Amino acid sequence: MSEHTAPATTRLSTRKRYKRIAYGLLGAGILALWIAIALDRFVLGVALYWAGGLGMGLVQRFSPVDLYDERDSTIEREAGHYTMKLFAYVFILGAPGGLVLAESDVLTLPGEFYGAMWTLFAVFVAYGAFVIYYKYRL
Amino acid sequence: MRNDLRDRRAETGESQADLAAAVGVTRQTINAIERERYDPSLELAFDLADHFDCRIEDLFEPADN
Repeated sequence: MSEHTAPATTRLSTRKRYKRIAYGLLGAGILALWIAIALDRFVLGVALYWAGGLGMGLVQRFSPVDLYDERDSTIEREAGHYTMKLFAYVFILGAPGGLVLAESDVLTLPGEFYGAMWTLFAVFVAYGAFVIYYKYRL
Repeated sequence: MRNDLRDRRAETGESQADLAAAVGVTRQTINAIERERYDPSLELAFDLADHFDCRIEDLFEPADN
């Protein structure tokens, strides 16, 4: 058996503990937001929600162990890949298709349609920027 | 890739959680490797081989061989 057995065992249990703390902080922030909205204290709710999110980020950033292993990264990468693929189909088919229907007076598109398409466009611009960035880095 | 991780683990009497802790991944990752649904990184493959005191190619082999 290799020499890193004992420290790794500690690392795993610590990982679980810090994961629970991280998600617990976010959960507490969301709960606080709901409660504050119910009490008509929206600004306080958002502040608590942000605090929860920030707490989660800080725990993830400064925990003494990696909270996610390589399979988690693979899952995230695959999920991101298929999400972008789905968005690509929606954008490529939806944007021109919707505009053609609107131009043909077949239907009147709501403002949300244009908002959604601009959002998808922005997502792909950001994605493209990261692709270019990592193309030069890796 | 095919692997005989489950058999080797059975020989040592370790649970998936024990092995996961020893190589610093989650139990779910060990389970996914044993079920041949996830191919580990080279680094993890080295760690697993080191743990079982063997070579990577003793643990893993390409699926089409």
